[in-house]
Amino acid sequence: MKSRLSETLSFNGRGSIVCSCCEYKICDQDLHWKKSVIISEESMQDLCGDNYTVSQGLLLRRFFCPGCYALLDTETAIHDDPFLYDKIIK
Amino acid sequence: MDPITFSIIRHRLFRIVDEAVITLKHVSGSAITNEGHDLMVSLYRADGSLLMGGVGFLHHLTSAAEACKSIINKFNSDINENDVFLLNCPYTAALHTSDVYLVAPIHSEGKLVAWSACFVHVYDIGAMNPGGFSPESLDIFTEGFSSPGLKIVDRGEIRKDVMDTLLNMVRSPEMVALDISSMIACNNVARDRMQGLVKKYGISIVDEACSNLIDQSEDLLRERLLELPDGSWESRQYFNVKDETYKVILKMTKSKDTLSFDFSGSSPQSKYGINCSKWASWGGLFAPLFPLLCYDITWNEGVIKPIEMKAPEGTVVNATRPAPVSIATVGAIQAVNNAACTCISKMLSASDKYKNEATAVWHGSHFAIFMFGKNQRSSDSIGILTETFGGAAGARSIGDGVDVGGEIPNPISRMANVETMEWTFPVRYLFRRRLKDSGGPGTYRGGAGAEFAITPHDAPDGGINYVVSGKGTSYPMSEGLAGGYPGAPSRYTWIKNQKKNSDRCLSDDLLVGSNSYEGDKENISWGVFPLFGNDYLHVRWNGGGGYGDPLKRDLKSLEKDVNEGLVSENAAKEIYGAIIINGQVDLEQSVILRKNILNNRVRGGGS
Repeated sequence: MKSRLSETLSFNGRGSIVCSCCEYKICDQDLHWKKSVIISEESMQDLCGDNYTVSQGLLLRRFFCPGCYALLDTETAIHDDPFLYDKIIK
Repeated sequence: MDPITFSIIRHRLFRIVDEAVITLKHVSGSAITNEGHDLMVSLYRADGSLLMGGVGFLHHLTSAAEACKSIINKFNSDINENDVFLLNCPYTAALHTSDVYLVAPIHSEGKLVAWSACFVHVYDIGAMNPGGFSPESLDIFTEGFSSPGLKIVDRGEIRKDVMDTLLNMVRSPEMVALDISSMIACNNVARDRMQGLVKKYGISIVDEACSNLIDQSEDLLRERLLELPDGSWESRQYFNVKDETYKVILKMTKSKDTLSFDFSGSSPQSKYGINCSKWASWGGLFAPLFPLLCYDITWNEGVIKPIEMKAPEGTVVNATRPAPVSIATVGAIQAVNNAACTCISKMLSASDKYKNEATAVWHGSHFAIFMFGKNQRSSDSIGILTETFGGAAGARSIGDGVDVGGEIPNPISRMANVETMEWTFPVRYLFRRRLKDSGGPGTYRGGAGAEFAITPHDAPDGGINYVVSGKGTSYPMSEGLAGGYPGAPSRYTWIKNQKKNSDRCLSDDLLVGSNSYEGDKENISWGVFPLFGNDYLHVRWNGGGGYGDPLKRDLKSLEKDVNEGLVSENAAKEIYGAIIINGQVDLEQSVILRKNILNNRVRGGGS
């Protein structure tokens, strides 16, 4: 049975995490989904303009669905900081 | 117990807290209390456990419980009817020295039946820097008067020796005396009304209702947790002091009907006062938990029982004495607030039933600015610019964040009007308005923060000084959710040598929001600074986090944002993929642009 992992991701009930928008199968449900999607890392300031005059080392990580390119999640990070990992026990 | 009596007593407890809050505000003379609502009132059981959490800054509800318990342990047989105790030691229970707790036992028929507790941020506490936030203090010993427990009212009589000692150690003692009086009055009202309740229903009935109320809260929260999926969620907050960067790392784990918060991996404690103590972190995680998970549950000890916390000693979230903590409430505690808000919201997002309760972070960084000096009446004046309580709401899965919409940890936060601040300090406001491009981009936009500029006016000394302890300038702290971007960070700019007598006397550039000021400018964030002569202070405060993919924002909503000055045409194009020219959205071109941006994402790029 389908259930939510987040606003943008779902479990398809058959052991996989899928994009809620296009149903693209991202990875097995026990794996770290962020390692199986398109990732963009850009300087927060370059991306958002003058109001975001912040530490040059601060990145906005964006995680896109490989199927429909929908934005699945964002996180701010300093280079080399690990991905934030949200996990639901199935 | 019959449900009608239970319900009446429960509602009566709510009203007692409400009336006590009103009393506190009416007696206090400080804008931070009666305008900014930097306050809290709650009721506690005879053993000090939380019975009825009130409004105000919610991270104080659990800390004041520890204050009650500490007083019980310390004074034991010396707790009498109509006593009032003061406690403000951060390493005992308080959050920082200037948030002074006054806790008072409530007796009926000679028996201790409950406690009331309240706090206000007092006018001054005698720290190195006026107003309580003391960025120049590098240990607790220079952060002002600090007591782990002191009897200030003995059987209804104010202890003059104690009061005189306290007032001898602070600036503007007459205002601090008023703060203390407001808290005594508040506790008196709570005590009288509680005694009236006990007199009407009897000790045993009220005691049973209070016990049932705590059980009810525990049962309801555990039931709610069982409805939510088991799992773990992570969040991370960065903040800076000068050139040093700190992290608060949180992993929240939900298992069956319990919830645990683990702050392992957070930065070692700082030499600056942005640290917080263990009880402060404990309170900090409850500040978002109460409204987000328990919006329909009475906030009491029952809510606390299913929750656990791990905060390693020697870190910014559990500093060890004598580390400085005077900035805690707008430092590490706020990072704990934000991190907990994000983790709880991500858990709610994973539930079909509760997904609409999720929210991006609100007002991630306070920008506390305390003015001090002679006012236009040549009196000493110390106080906060209450704009920091104006806040900005995070976006939710069902709508935009409210512009200048407050903050999660304080449901009644607000700011004073400009005229009140101009009456309090010798300054004139050039403007105060919502700030363009400050709300975090998203399908639903984070609420806009705001900006203002002030300059000295009618100042007997030619100006006034101020203490600034901002830590959200290098990193945005209002995290987005579900693909939303964070809100823009705060910024403080000191503009020097403006030419007041020129044609550009109020700085045309500044008024239209340009960054190319006439005169020199310096970005500041930490320390004591002057505002004299022809100088200006321009403050921009952070917006709320966004929710969802910005490319999915409704184009007509964007057109409205641009026309209201909340989003620039450039941001609309670059971040949201919308072409808006002369206030009108070009639907056809916008659809094409969005398609191009989407396709660019395949290479890990595009907006």
